[in-house]
Amino acid sequence: MAKVLIPTPLRQYAGNQKEVDIAGATVGEILTSLTSEFADLRKHLYTDEGKLRSFVNVYLNDEDVRYLDKDKTAAAPGDTLSIVPSIAGGGR
Amino acid sequence: MIRIEAGAWAVMLEHAYSAYPRECCGILLGAENPGGERVVSAAFPCRNAYEGDQSDRFQIDPRDQVRANLKCRAEDIDIIGFFHSHPDCDAYFSATDLKNSWPWYSNIVLSIRQGAFAGAGSFRANDDQSQSETEELTYPSALPAPAADVAETAPGVESPS
Repeated sequence: MAKVLIPTPLRQYAGNQKEVDIAGATVGEILTSLTSEFADLRKHLYTDEGKLRSFVNVYLNDEDVRYLDKDKTAAAPGDTLSIVPSIAGGGR
Repeated sequence: MIRIEAGAWAVMLEHAYSAYPRECCGILLGAENPGGERVVSAAFPCRNAYEGDQSDRFQIDPRDQVRANLKCRAEDIDIIGFFHSHPDCDAYFSATDLKNSWPWYSNIVLSIRQGAFAGAGSFRANDDQSQSETEELTYPSALPAPAADVAETAPGVESPS
């Protein structure tokens, strides 16, 4: 089981839980299971084409999975998967 | 409504002062009470990860959010929003801010003019980030002093004779 941390705005789509234990051998399997269990999460995490949205970052422990093996990144029991909003901006 | 506690407010301003004339950015940690008031009990300063001119742009380093999550889990608090500064600009929520925000979160903007605090506002984006609304914001009236070399030129601060 990996622990998936849900960002505050998305908890309403995950049974108001801060974190969820999800089984899976890879990041992709874990996210698939997560969005199967909480279907309303899917549209917030993935595009209609099934790609992770650009303003959503996924970290396995403290590593960005985009710089690992993306969905194929292996996850071990006890790992923490963080869904991290991309936040930016500026005055002009 | 969002209220900033003194310790968090000091961290936010000191981060904005030290980044000036670049934009600073950080994370607001706390909780929303049953009455709907958000209370910021801690501020988590972040690295501005924007690769370019940071005088009018910021990007929160996602790795800092991962670190902030650890603090939240340890202290049973939540990430309830973000803050950033507008050097020599007003405390408004720009189109760039809106486009790159997330719904639900509080977004506090600090106006820093000539190195000194000049106002703050809090804003929330709607679900499709097409509009934002102003959120009532309260913060301590006592301000941490900017660095001495900046204070001498700040409006309303008299230089020692």
